[in-house]
Amino acid sequence: MSPGPGEEPAPPRVPALIVTHADLAQSLVRAAETVVGPVEDVELLSNEDRSRDDLERAIEERVQGWSQGGLLFTDFWGGSCHTCGAAAARRHGEVVIVTGVNLPLLLDYLHNRDRMGLVELAERLQQKGRDGIRVQRGVPA
Amino acid sequence: MSWVLHRVDDRLIHGQVLVGWGARLHPVRIWVVDDGVATSEWERTLFREAAPGIEVRVADVSEAAAEHAAEAAAPGAAFLLVRDLATARRLVQAGATVREWNLGGLHYAPGKDKLNDYVYLGPADRDDARALLALGASLIVQDVPASAATPLPALDPALTA
Repeated sequence: MSPGPGEEPAPPRVPALIVTHADLAQSLVRAAETVVGPVEDVELLSNEDRSRDDLERAIEERVQGWSQGGLLFTDFWGGSCHTCGAAAARRHGEVVIVTGVNLPLLLDYLHNRDRMGLVELAERLQQKGRDGIRVQRGVPA
Repeated sequence: MSWVLHRVDDRLIHGQVLVGWGARLHPVRIWVVDDGVATSEWERTLFREAAPGIEVRVADVSEAAAEHAAEAAAPGAAFLLVRDLATARRLVQAGATVREWNLGGLHYAPGKDKLNDYVYLGPADRDDARALLALGASLIVQDVPASAATPLPALDPALTA
């Protein structure tokens, strides 16, 4: 849909790569697909059996086509997915890392990746990921 | 107190170290001993920030060897991480006293033989392992505390052949 008079054209889609332990990235996307249908344009990577150099190379291969930056989701701060991602990303412009990826955060990314800019979206997702974690105490019957 | 883990792991600081061993041994300091990381201001910062609540010291081999004995007497538990057996060997030859090395991650690269899912050794690694064994160190293969601990020579008969 082209922009109407006085409207800003939509920003380009913010690309994403999810890097996690084991097959969490695939499973998160599979879970998201049960909620929103087929998910396209999200790259997935596992750190399994990879050295630091190997993982950095694999991340770099996947982000080098990003012309205007993108989001790199990892499972937790300080893990190899995060530190290798930080090393690989800094050679490719503005790649923003969001650690602690969860399903609410991923769903919110999918809803907003075509209408928000990179940094604004990253900040929103940090909040959405946190807001998705709530505690409800059981009420004994 | 101080030294509770000397580990050879090509990922240096990562989940198994922070969560697996960290929850078991509660380090207050982690030394990343790596000449490459030590010369890169950016990588030093990356690792210093990687372990919230734990002090991360980044040192090259000679600096780490010089401070190794003093750290051994410091309060709190400490980990030391190197990325390969060559660095472990150099650290010991530079004067650090290390009775046991934990081998937690030496991943596949061309020309290396698989010993298990997370330890692959090539000829240079085996030379370094033999040198460390000859210096009296134990080399114990164990990725996380919950998995079995196996002496390296038991996994790699070629080492003692």
